Amino acid sequence: MHGTIALLLALALSAAALAAQGSGGAGLHGTVRDDQGAPIGHAQVGVRGTTLFTRTDASGRYRLAQVSTGTVHVRVDAVGYAGVDTVVAISADSASVDFQLRFSPLTLAPVSTVIEKLPHFGERPATSVAQVSERDLDRRAVNTVDEAVDHVPGIQFVNGQINIRGSTGYIQGLNSRVLLTVDGVPMNQGDRGGIDWDLLAVDEIESVDILKGAGSSLYGSAALGGVVNVTTRDVPNGWHSRLRFTGGVYADPPYAIWQFRGSPGLQGGADLSASYGNDVAGGRIALGDRHSDGYRQQDNDDHFHMAGKTRWEPSPGVRVDISGAWAVNRYDVPLSWCKRGKCDDRGQVFQPFKIDTTERGARTDSRKGYIAAQIRSTLSPQFAWQARGSWLRTHFTDIRSTTEYGVGDRFGTEARIEAHPDSNRSVLVGGEVTFSRVTSDIFGSHTQAELAAYGQSEQQMGNARVSGGARLDFLAVDGGSLTAVASPRIGVTIPTDGRGHDGGVLRASIGRGFRAPTIAERFVHTFALGFEVIPNPNLRPETAWSFEVGHTTGLLLRFLRLDAALFWTEAHDLIEPALLTPSDTIQLQNVVRARLAGVDATIIGAPIPRLITTLGYTYLSTRRRLAADSTTGPLAFRPRHLLTLGADYAVGDLDVGADFRFASRPERIELEGFVDPRRVPVKVLDLRAGWSRGPVEFRLLVANALNYIYNLVPETLAPVRTVTLTAVWAH
Amino acid sequence: MLRAVFRVGAVVVLIAGWVTACDGGLAPEPICARGLIGLCGTIHFRGSIPDSTDAVFVAAYLTFPQTCNDLINNRRPVIPGSVPYTDSAAAYSMALDPGTYHWVVAVWKKVGMLHVSPADTALLRVAGYYRNPADTSQPGVVTVPKGAAAGDVNFVAHLDSLRPATDFVTCTAQ
Repeated sequence: MHGTIALLLALALSAAALAAQGSGGAGLHGTVRDDQGAPIGHAQVGVRGTTLFTRTDASGRYRLAQVSTGTVHVRVDAVGYAGVDTVVAISADSASVDFQLRFSPLTLAPVSTVIEKLPHFGERPATSVAQVSERDLDRRAVNTVDEAVDHVPGIQFVNGQINIRGSTGYIQGLNSRVLLTVDGVPMNQGDRGGIDWDLLAVDEIESVDILKGAGSSLYGSAALGGVVNVTTRDVPNGWHSRLRFTGGVYADPPYAIWQFRGSPGLQGGADLSASYGNDVAGGRIALGDRHSDGYRQQDNDDHFHMAGKTRWEPSPGVRVDISGAWAVNRYDVPLSWCKRGKCDDRGQVFQPFKIDTTERGARTDSRKGYIAAQIRSTLSPQFAWQARGSWLRTHFTDIRSTTEYGVGDRFGTEARIEAHPDSNRSVLVGGEVTFSRVTSDIFGSHTQAELAAYGQSEQQMGNARVSGGARLDFLAVDGGSLTAVASPRIGVTIPTDGRGHDGGVLRASIGRGFRAPTIAERFVHTFALGFEVIPNPNLRPETAWSFEVGHTTGLLLRFLRLDAALFWTEAHDLIEPALLTPSDTIQLQNVVRARLAGVDATIIGAPIPRLITTLGYTYLSTRRRLAADSTTGPLAFRPRHLLTLGADYAVGDLDVGADFRFASRPERIELEGFVDPRRVPVKVLDLRAGWSRGPVEFRLLVANALNYIYNLVPETLAPVRTVTLTAVWAH
Repeated sequence: MLRAVFRVGAVVVLIAGWVTACDGGLAPEPICARGLIGLCGTIHFRGSIPDSTDAVFVAAYLTFPQTCNDLINNRRPVIPGSVPYTDSAAAYSMALDPGTYHWVVAVWKKVGMLHVSPADTALLRVAGYYRNPADTSQPGVVTVPKGAAAGDVNFVAHLDSLRPATDFVTCTAQ
């Protein structure tokens, strides 16, 4: 372990030293503030058509190096503000320019520079992108990233597994068809391919960007249904510290016959972070601890985490970031709710708050962490390169009637070159190597290597902006023969009115995505539902073609904005469990072809001052067809209708808000006939209020305010009403 | 004007959301309905639901019917209500007089009007019946005790192999 960390650090430092030798050019610096003079953090500042971009720190300050003297075209964007596009004259080595942005809640959020791997200054991407901003995270006062992302239109979490337009469905712990990246570094587990949403404390996160649809042309495996990028907080100049306390209480079951304990369940936690930075270097450390009694029987959860991040800018245009996190969890596992006769059922067919007594004592000990080093060197306004190395480790021990464990390592490196031959064209080429290693009593000891090369180009053609690219991935398991997968993608955006960057944009894209089978899927050997699960080393990658056409309008009636997209995915070789006869064993096989098609629409409105309302609706139609016969039906765990409603109203230091989520009852579940098929639609109302003044902020969240009792997967109760109070002090 | 419409619309949507959320959700489900005198259990459905399906109901017979007349006239209850059949399983409860019942059957009904006459058998099919746990080739016998209910009367209904009444009883010209 120490050797790997030392190697990552040595590579980063030597690359930085090399990069620092070639830098030069003028500098542009200043501040970005709102029309009241308050600093705007996390605003994007960049020179259009070049490699030059940066983000403001919490004080609204920015610095851009390598800017050519003369006149340059600068673009400034921030969430909730009207962007500024202006020409700046730079005559000396260093120029200072301050920007003032006007509050404009319906302005489109700037596109993350990470999610597309290229800076976008005001241009919209050809694929749907959603964003959870720092303000959304603060306002919702959530404890984990998934709780915040769950409110994004078109996205649903099913027992911890993310579905973007119905991408993943639900297979407990074995894969994800969505890729998670943290600051651009892939973080899906090396063994099971799943996502640990609690790897990072929510207090460490600045924003979350979600790419809807296949992203494999840039990101490779797992980006079959989309990519979620978490951007961690940057290290600002000066001393900063932040303290956050949360405390909450779970509601009792709404029916006396379901009572299972004598006193209410509680939860609470504390997070602390401190940072110092100057123009050359900075660092932050953070740690936190949480405990939850849970909302049902055998549902205790203890969580500890720590994280660190450093930045070093040895010369203008060169930046090195080293970051890492470590989290330890010990949580009880209420495997399935109690069915008649499996506990003190009190004459009930099922007791959703209680567990089957044979599952008493089931728990999981989980440890996970990562370290990543990245360097970006801007050699000129036309040319930049970036490289990274990362290591993700996950270690779980499932304690049931028998004990199972797994240790997974995922090592990754990537290098890419970004060129802007002229202001209307950009080219990106890169290569990536990922190596996963697993030691487990249920997966065995195995390795999987993935080597990839990719390229993408964007070109302005008249009014249209066209992007195209492809990625070629080679996969090798246990050092065996290579499997190759090609993932091309092409997209176009066309302005539909003359209102510039904030006007209407038509977008269309088609791309191929894929997901390599995880080591767990290939080699799992265990028992489930009384059946032996046997390995299948010959699994092939899942593949899919995704097509999308969408339109974002300019402002309608001066207080509305509409975004709508039609999407269509044809997936092949999807991996699902198959019951083999006559051996009566379960094996994961490439058995399913599927179609996922639908409409995704969002309306944002500001009908009166200080009130912002959102309505998101997704209609999803799925068709599943087994390879072996012509049997068709819907895909499991995919609701046909998803609706989200939100409203936020601010007055003075106080703000109040509400979110309502509806998901129709899934038509089909997996293993029907073997599990309790009981399921209902999701109808969850969250209420929230906040008060902030100076460095102090209080947040009240009433999640599932109506205490609606529902489940997303069989025999697993979803969270009940939870009242949480959060206090934050930031300096 | 349009802003006012939008505001009213937003309020309506929020109230609609609130009202719909107040309804439904998982709720307690007694194994047998409280105070029930009769029998209850679970039907497990197999196969795909025919397009012409109107209802699936459960009926019981004190003696095994011999004719189409018996099938219609000795049915308890005479006019049964449908059970939910779109899920893979459905719990059911039926009120019956105390006694020993020799056939508890799930009956599939095609779209059409019933007249409580032997001609009804043209619209009805046997989807499945409770079987003798000791010999599953034979119908099971269930006793409804006085003032109580018999539970665990569980069986499978095969929606893709529905059987006509004539497989079980003799029907003269209707």
